[in-house]
Amino acid sequence: MSDLKDLVREKLKDGVDAFLCLKDEEGTLLPALITDADSPELELVEAGGARYPMGKILIDLLREYPGKRFAVLVRGCDERALVELSKLEQVDLDRLVMVGLACTAEEARACGCTRPYPSEIALGEKAEAAPGRETIEEVEALSEAERLRWWKEQFSRCIKCYGCRNVCPMCFCKDCALENPHLVEPGVIPPEFPSFHVIRALDMTGRCVDCGLCEEACPADIPLRSLYRKMQEIMEEKLGYRAGESPDEKSPLSFLGSEQDIEKLEREQ
Amino acid sequence: MAEESATRNEDDIRILAFLCNWCSYAGADLAGVSRLQYPAKVLDVRVMCTGTISPYFVIKAFQEGMDGVLIAGCHIGDCHYLKGNYMTAKRFQVLREALKFLGIEEGRLRLEWVSAAEGEKYAEVIRSFTEEIEKLGPSPLRRKRAEVGA
Repeated sequence: MSDLKDLVREKLKDGVDAFLCLKDEEGTLLPALITDADSPELELVEAGGARYPMGKILIDLLREYPGKRFAVLVRGCDERALVELSKLEQVDLDRLVMVGLACTAEEARACGCTRPYPSEIALGEKAEAAPGRETIEEVEALSEAERLRWWKEQFSRCIKCYGCRNVCPMCFCKDCALENPHLVEPGVIPPEFPSFHVIRALDMTGRCVDCGLCEEACPADIPLRSLYRKMQEIMEEKLGYRAGESPDEKSPLSFLGSEQDIEKLEREQ
Repeated sequence: MAEESATRNEDDIRILAFLCNWCSYAGADLAGVSRLQYPAKVLDVRVMCTGTISPYFVIKAFQEGMDGVLIAGCHIGDCHYLKGNYMTAKRFQVLREALKFLGIEEGRLRLEWVSAAEGEKYAEVIRSFTEEIEKLGPSPLRRKRAEVGA
């Protein structure tokens, strides 16, 4: 197994302009851009530990430095995010070299990850997926009225910090629906159900790559990930699409499609 | 389209109907011109195509206290914009399941294809949808009713 330091050096010598990975900044792991193969910073790069929305960072980097090529250390979720972002025309995969990092078994379990490894692994060992569906099952076991009460209670803790949106690698719109006063009343905390959270859940449909950063970021412990994960299950069941998996297939909600598809959909309904 | 207003009370159900300009709105018009009877619980919004209806609109309608939301447009293959209703068909599937998971009765949202010639179908859709919503009762999300007006 190769070392991250060597990989960074190798990629930089191979003609990549910068390597995005994590670096130890006085005890805190932060995303860092390494541009020089001989930099002393190389001693501080770290593979594991923290997680950041690499996709989101790369959207900005690719825009800020047109013509430059980047290498990036990706976990399974980062790779899915980048694949989906390229379909949404937010990143150019031709200008990216992904260096795969497999999450450890502990990380995969703690995360409840559906696929804790990227398609090509350069670092780490492939761990088993440990998808956690407990919350979804718990909700599905409730009656309709109880379910509504349950969700309302969860969302009533929201302090509208926008952390879920800000950390989300798949959120990139300049005009955010969550800031539209017609959809989400300004100054109302917690935001009125179903506006804020259901709008976000709908936007995540066919887009969420199940990285779980939203739930990690949420100071109110709202089970956002289970909500978005359920939306992906609906998407897969109804429209046969899973975000971030196949680079050539776009989300059915992003194009009109053919009459046959729709007829099939209506028949199965 | 309806004899009402003065008699409405708080417990009356209210339905918001998004009607596409080219088919369902004309269908509703035909129902009216044909003097077909149907319950006057529907508030309609004329849109150019059902494909323009963002799922946000439906969420907003429920939030504002609507008890049911109907989306009616051209039959598949007959869209004035060729494929606008394909999007509606797909979004509807997702939206209805999402409502179900959140505990909002899926019956409160309905999608129907009504052509400009189907005045009778329009009246029937409104009759059966009203009946279904009446069975479900007022929406559990209804709160801001007084502010909705109209």
